Amino acid sequence: MALLDVAHIQKKFGKGQNEVVALNDVTFLIDKGEFVGIMGPSGAGKSTLLNLLATIDTPTAGSIVMDNLNLHAMSENELADFRRDHLGFIFQDYNLLDSLTVKENILLPLAIAKVKSSDINQRVQQIAQLFGIANLLEKYPVQISGGQKQRTAAARALVTEPSMILADEPTGALDSKSATDLLESFQHLNEAKQATIMMVTHDAFAASFCERILFIQDGALSTELHKGSKTRKEFFQDILATVATFGGGAHDII
Amino acid sequence: MTLFSIAKKNVARNFSQYFLYMASMIFSIVIYFTFVTLKYSETIEKEIEGSQKIGSLMSGAAFVLIFFVAIFIFYCNAFFMKKRKKEVALYALLGVRKRQIGFMLFFENLLLGAVSLLAGIVVGFLASKGLLSILIKLMGYDVAAPFAFSWQAVANTALVFMIIFLITSLQGYRVIYQFKLIDLFHASAQRELASKPNPVIAALGVFLIGLGYFLALQDMMSDIWQTLGLLVAPMIILFSVIIGTYLLFHSFTGTVLKWLKKSETWLWRNLRVVTVSQLLHRVKAHATTLTLIAILSATTITAGGAVFGMYYNISSAVKQMDPNTYMFVEQDELVTNKVNRLVGDVEYNRTVQTLEQPFDYNGEQMAYTLMMQSDYNRLAHVHGRDEIHVKGNEFYVLDATYDERFSPAYNGMTLQAHDEQYEVVGYETYNVLNVALAYLTIVVPDDTYEQLARQKGATAQTFQVIVDANATKDEAKKIATMLPEDAYISSQFADQQSNVESIGVLLFIGSFLGLVFLASTGSIIYFKMLTEAEEDKAKYVMLHKMGVSIKAMRKSIAGQNFIIFFVPLVVGILHSAIALNAFSSLLAMNLVVPVCMWMLAYTIVYALFYVLTVWSYTNIMKQTIQSEG
Repeated sequence: MALLDVAHIQKKFGKGQNEVVALNDVTFLIDKGEFVGIMGPSGAGKSTLLNLLATIDTPTAGSIVMDNLNLHAMSENELADFRRDHLGFIFQDYNLLDSLTVKENILLPLAIAKVKSSDINQRVQQIAQLFGIANLLEKYPVQISGGQKQRTAAARALVTEPSMILADEPTGALDSKSATDLLESFQHLNEAKQATIMMVTHDAFAASFCERILFIQDGALSTELHKGSKTRKEFFQDILATVATFGGGAHDII
Repeated sequence: MTLFSIAKKNVARNFSQYFLYMASMIFSIVIYFTFVTLKYSETIEKEIEGSQKIGSLMSGAAFVLIFFVAIFIFYCNAFFMKKRKKEVALYALLGVRKRQIGFMLFFENLLLGAVSLLAGIVVGFLASKGLLSILIKLMGYDVAAPFAFSWQAVANTALVFMIIFLITSLQGYRVIYQFKLIDLFHASAQRELASKPNPVIAALGVFLIGLGYFLALQDMMSDIWQTLGLLVAPMIILFSVIIGTYLLFHSFTGTVLKWLKKSETWLWRNLRVVTVSQLLHRVKAHATTLTLIAILSATTITAGGAVFGMYYNISSAVKQMDPNTYMFVEQDELVTNKVNRLVGDVEYNRTVQTLEQPFDYNGEQMAYTLMMQSDYNRLAHVHGRDEIHVKGNEFYVLDATYDERFSPAYNGMTLQAHDEQYEVVGYETYNVLNVALAYLTIVVPDDTYEQLARQKGATAQTFQVIVDANATKDEAKKIATMLPEDAYISSQFADQQSNVESIGVLLFIGSFLGLVFLASTGSIIYFKMLTEAEEDKAKYVMLHKMGVSIKAMRKSIAGQNFIIFFVPLVVGILHSAIALNAFSSLLAMNLVVPVCMWMLAYTIVYALFYVLTVWSYTNIMKQTIQSEG
């Protein structure tokens, strides 16, 4: 049984003449422990898809089943609990609370889930080690660099050990060194802890860290690439080649 | 660590944000509490004994205050909530239930309210003494202001604000249900669209304001006012001006800015292109706020200017009605002698004979007070007026309350008494006798006076008239006690005092409310602009990266704020100038000097808000650039 089962989803915005179909009949599966990238030109529907998976938006038609739970049959409160227990989020602009320390930012989801404070300490230490921010725990977000902020945000997303991590352009605001560090952490996490990660990205380099890439074009799935036994560099070339087939869209992607 | 303790930490660390919100609430509470303290104050009650009018005036003002304070607090609350949107949305995304977030916001708000209430009452208690002494001084009393603490005032304030805070807290609870989580992901997704100003609507706005002005500048006795009716005409003025002002901000300013955009040589220099475009986005979106500010400023300036004008003119108004320091009906020679001894050597102290004589005028009965030309000329000399010389049946009218619109046309008027015709050969708009006792006075040749005095139908009265440049308040009080209680006396001091008392209270309430209105309008723009500063951060970081100096950005910020601040002020001042013009012609009073002083004071305090806003705005931008650049 797949972890995530997206079946024939469709999303429309607007009404009548202004109707825009953002997603049309999108179907795919993601298994536990996969590291999946979503790519596509601007306006292809990547963010819409992510919003649907994040349960902050509902599809016009079709169903999304995660961990055997049908997301869009749940009530508001059930969804809140679902996000708390099953999902982790990483945003392009971090979304850290400036008034809390790095440590407090990371433990926030645990506090919300009412985990015992002795457990909290241990889990925060563990995850901070993993992302190399253990020496920054007492600092405030304004005192650390962008890369460190993003690793804090990633630690916050992972500390609850969610079924799935949704990352929206996580490297968008980072320099290449910080981006590589973050992506390597993702890869490590994915391999060592069997964490399931779904990452929306523009960047072919970031995408090359994934195992599988789904390409979206004009609201529909167009191609799928598997890394298989290729090296990251070979996979990167493959991605660039696929992106080039999008014609004019190539400029948008790189 | 629980969610509650995290939220608590967040409050403690974000104290500066909370502080701004609390300071606004404390300010409102201080103002209100002080006001009700004065209302319940025994000192004031004793001093204005029997003045029911003032008591009801205070209650009315308190009601206006509640209304205003409530709006102000709602405004601050909305601003405060907006700032916390990110935090709240993050909680929701991390899986906190909406109900839980709602409760958190509800109790937090209630707690902030309770703390503000306590602080506000303590500060208000200290402030009320100062304000009490100002009020007492304005009313012309010599007593020291006591420390008045009134439980009634505390109870009243607590009740009013508990209700307001309960409502805002419920609003806070509700707010979470309005947030769309999707906004957090792509907050910048909702882009503002450049507004398209409509020249037709702009013209309509100008037309409506023009119509209101035109009507307001017409005389009340004019045909238009008579046809529309005295109740309908002011309504039309009010509506056309308010709607016109709204349309003005909605479209007219936009049209002007659009037109400015066409002038490329002017526009494409420095940051002007940014400044004008930002304003274009803003002015239309803020049309309601700008209208509110213009109308509030107009109201404050008009009401304050009118009352201050009256206060400023008390002395000259009293001198107009009471040219003589004392004037009383001669009854008892002993009393008169005592008074004479008291006042001693003065500018003028004589008896003046008068006749109250009814006349026929076009079949109507009219009564005038007649005085001899010789008496008049002696008094005129003291008061620095021209002498009058009339002969035979010639009359000369003295009418201190003369008003072109209501008074009869004196020149050439013929009055009839005992089959004799008398002709009015001239009139003056002052009197040399105190109006309260002499009403309308006619100066008559001495021999004609003697003739009329011998006839029946006239009532003779002898007044003691004293002009004393060195008179004191004590002297006035002593004279009042020497005379019998039912004596007819008119005293400059007594009239001055009663005017100062009633207009002083009006002035106090007027300035008090004016200050509140001013502070609130100032804070509303301040909050609005700072919200925008938060939203525009990224733009300025980008400009900085493009090599724009902080100095140039400050200039652009100052320019944008200048328009947002001063366009409504100018409109408000224009409105109030027209309204005060109508008011001064209604009261036949020259208000130019006091009104200009009032407008200047208003503008200065208002400008302080402008400076503060530009300073804070620039600071936000600078900090962002430093931390991100």
